[in-house]
Amino acid sequence: MIHTTFYLRRLHSLCGLLVLGMVLFEHIFTNSMAILGPEGLNTALEMMELIPKPIFIGLEIGGIAIPLLFHGIYGIYIALQAKNNPQNYGYVRNWNFALQRWTAWFLVVFLIWHVGYLRCYVKGVTGTPISFELLQNFFQNPVVVVLYVIGMWAAIFHFCNGISTFCMTWGITKGPRSQKVISCISMLLCAGMCLITLVFMGSYFVY
Amino acid sequence: MAEKVRFIIERQDAPDAKPYNQEFDVDYRPGLNVVASLMEIQKNPVTVDGKKVPPVVWECNCLEKVCGACMMVINGKAQQACCALVDNLKKPIKLQPARTFPVIRDLLIDRSRMFEALKRIQGWIELDGSWENRDAPIQNPYTARTAYEISRCMTCGCCLEACPNVGPQSDFIGPAPTVQAYLFNLHPLGKFDAPKRLNVLMEKGGITSCGNSQNCEAVCPKSIKLTKYLAQLNRDVNIQALKNIFDN
Repeated sequence: MIHTTFYLRRLHSLCGLLVLGMVLFEHIFTNSMAILGPEGLNTALEMMELIPKPIFIGLEIGGIAIPLLFHGIYGIYIALQAKNNPQNYGYVRNWNFALQRWTAWFLVVFLIWHVGYLRCYVKGVTGTPISFELLQNFFQNPVVVVLYVIGMWAAIFHFCNGISTFCMTWGITKGPRSQKVISCISMLLCAGMCLITLVFMGSYFVY
Repeated sequence: MAEKVRFIIERQDAPDAKPYNQEFDVDYRPGLNVVASLMEIQKNPVTVDGKKVPPVVWECNCLEKVCGACMMVINGKAQQACCALVDNLKKPIKLQPARTFPVIRDLLIDRSRMFEALKRIQGWIELDGSWENRDAPIQNPYTARTAYEISRCMTCGCCLEACPNVGPQSDFIGPAPTVQAYLFNLHPLGKFDAPKRLNVLMEKGGITSCGNSQNCEAVCPKSIKLTKYLAQLNRDVNIQALKNIFDN
């Protein structure tokens, strides 16, 4: 017995919460520098450029690309095993279960666009460094702005609801009280992160 | 004229036949439940259009929420027909078979997948003899209440029907059989086979297929705290996995 399914599922859970959670926090942290204006974000982006290239690329591949591909591809397999039914069983947790999968589908498409365009095409192929001005120009299109806000909110919800289910999957929160406390904390975190996203996205229209 | 209660019943003539709806009216009486209504329809199987049809097939046995046989989908929710009071249901009342299971005919389903799952998780205790009363191993008094709670599971299948992860699209054995593993792991003799049961739960279709929608607990007619025991089993399989890795 090698229990491949068990280890893949647990790896999927760890990879989503710890690794991709870190990536999400990094994105929110760096992007929130836009609130300080063009210099704020550009300084933060230049600081990241100080990381030696081989280490930076290594981090991007090992810390983002591989975990994201694994979590995404195995996640699609998991999502296909569910038949969402909140219309008949409209409990909060069941809605969250369905939303976890709907946000996942949206994120698969959104992230292909986001990584494919900004990282691979703009930064990789054309060699243009990402800057406040570049993003400001990118966000001139209101459709792009709406899709980016929804993309961020989807990722934030997926991560925060993931905290609650992670705690159940690893047997950390067993009883209803502890599960409720964790889900309240994670939803507060979700609201906070969504608000920060709205503020830093708004800053492109202020400066 | 007595007040009528309208039933919309999803019928199916054979396992592979196409389902269709038929409507029936039943005379209202105080305390009327869905099983009693189905019995009335059986006595006089005439649809609202006045057409005489073959009586509706369904299953029931104890009529007091103990056997689990009459589980069906009533107004979209899986529940026991014997304790579904007409007074508490939105009219017209829609009855459907629990399609997570193979439909045999009308509302009659084949629930054997749950019994197959119980075989898989070793839902029994290996005995090699019997004891005199005073020598017998005793139930842990601190977990006896939990064991009693889980032992009331009647394999009705409500939790499997409500679980979004149980169905033809997935191989999840479902909440009820999974949690039974915990019952037998609590037993003073059953606990000897606990590693065996936990290893089975780590296989494909076992506890890892649980997606924490928590519908199972919400619909359980026996109020078994399924999600709590699923979380406990998650804890147990994680520890078992560490043992599997480091004990060798």
